[in-house]
Amino acid sequence: MAVITISGEPGVLDKEVAARLAGQLGFLLIDKAGIAQLSGEMDLEEARLQKVDEAISRGDTDIDSETEACARLLQDSVAQLAEEQDVVIIGRGAQGLFRNLPGTLHVRFIAPRDFRVSQTMTRGRLSEREARRLIKTQELERARYLKFLYNLNPSDPGLYDLTIRIDRLSIGQALKVIVTAVDEMELRQVPRDRIVKDLLHQMPERKDNGRFANAAETEFAGFLEFYHIPFEYECRTFPLESDAHGKVTEAFTPDFYLPEQDLFIELTTMKQSLVTRKNRKVRKLRKLYPNVNIRIFYQRDFYNLMAKYGLLADKPVRNG
Amino acid sequence: MDDMPDNIVEILISQQAVERRIAEMGREIAAAYQDSLPLLVGVLKGCMIFMSDLVKQIDIPLEIDFISAMSYGGVQKSSGAARITKDLDCVIEGRDVLLIEGIVDTGMTAGYLLRNLQARQPRSLRVCTLLDKEVRRIVKIPISFRGFSVPDRFLVGYGLDFRQLYRNLPYIGVLSNEITGLDRR
Repeated sequence: MAVITISGEPGVLDKEVAARLAGQLGFLLIDKAGIAQLSGEMDLEEARLQKVDEAISRGDTDIDSETEACARLLQDSVAQLAEEQDVVIIGRGAQGLFRNLPGTLHVRFIAPRDFRVSQTMTRGRLSEREARRLIKTQELERARYLKFLYNLNPSDPGLYDLTIRIDRLSIGQALKVIVTAVDEMELRQVPRDRIVKDLLHQMPERKDNGRFANAAETEFAGFLEFYHIPFEYECRTFPLESDAHGKVTEAFTPDFYLPEQDLFIELTTMKQSLVTRKNRKVRKLRKLYPNVNIRIFYQRDFYNLMAKYGLLADKPVRNG
Repeated sequence: MDDMPDNIVEILISQQAVERRIAEMGREIAAAYQDSLPLLVGVLKGCMIFMSDLVKQIDIPLEIDFISAMSYGGVQKSSGAARITKDLDCVIEGRDVLLIEGIVDTGMTAGYLLRNLQARQPRSLRVCTLLDKEVRRIVKIPISFRGFSVPDRFLVGYGLDFRQLYRNLPYIGVLSNEITGLDRR
């Protein structure tokens, strides 16, 4: 597990740094959009989440148990996600959630108020008065959030491994400092070895500890994971035919579901006769469930994908 | 470079057609951003020739920057996750950003970059691509400026490569299956 938490005083470009850091390290970025996705997976409506945030940020003294449970559930989900992959988390009281844990690095960005006001005016196209008011509001909200969840004060220097004055370092320099700390603290997980080419030659036999049915599915899953595309494997079965007693006699379970795309993908590397049967099933599924978005990824599509990344060719090529 | 290299089986889009369309796209982009100072972010390396020609056709003030992400299968030992190998030099918070791609096909790379850039809170973030291979799309990409919709064939030239070669062809060509390895499948 490698977790980098990024927090900062309002107006210090911490979001920009977090996004760049995640991009540079190949870590998953958990920002506002990531949190919205997590809450969606927990069937926690975005509007409900917003109410929870607002109640905490306002400093409501009578926060009900359901609101508190929602906030803590979200924290649990962030922690679970961090156990599965390397993450950069921006805000959300993450410095409290992961405080003092091994494998974590807590970074705080600070800058003099005038610098932050000037940044906020430029980025938000605000007047100085508006910028000062916004900064003050955000300072209060962030402090209340961390206090409510963990009874901590975000200004406490003891919460952070690194505190960076962003008015004195460029974003690039700040990134270098953080990456050096990540390396020196050996936070990164040992890289997984992936010998992509060999997979294709072993296609029928290769299994991924039983998780995927064949090497093509394993490869495709690896491809999705590489680009941080969330997916579920064989998550839904669609009944296609039933007998007189209502018992399902034919059903179809697509291989992958991509929730962000609301797209089911059926991957096939099988022989033509089986593809025909699969085509028929997909046609039936489309007729019965017209709102379901499904795509068959044929052997040809799969090979095209591999070819795109130069994974099929095995001899050097010359231009001309 | 009038003659086709042996490995190019067809010229899909001629140099003249590409140049004509880029001039039109330049006018479309200028009209869309006439009230702002857009930042054009080129996705290396496929955008290189396209972007170079495109910016000359955009008749309003603009800024340019570049970004690059590791490709799947691009390294023998991968950590199993895409990462940005060349980041922007400037801050994009509050800016009008236009991502410039040579080609969008599965949408994986563009989707990854859009998510990352969006997190930096630009004022607007749009996509411009010379080629759109929509038939291959897995990740939805909202494309605001599109040069050509292209069929599912292996295309090279005008900045697009196969194993880093063919970028210097002045047209969009179809690469032989013998080279890509598709002939043996």
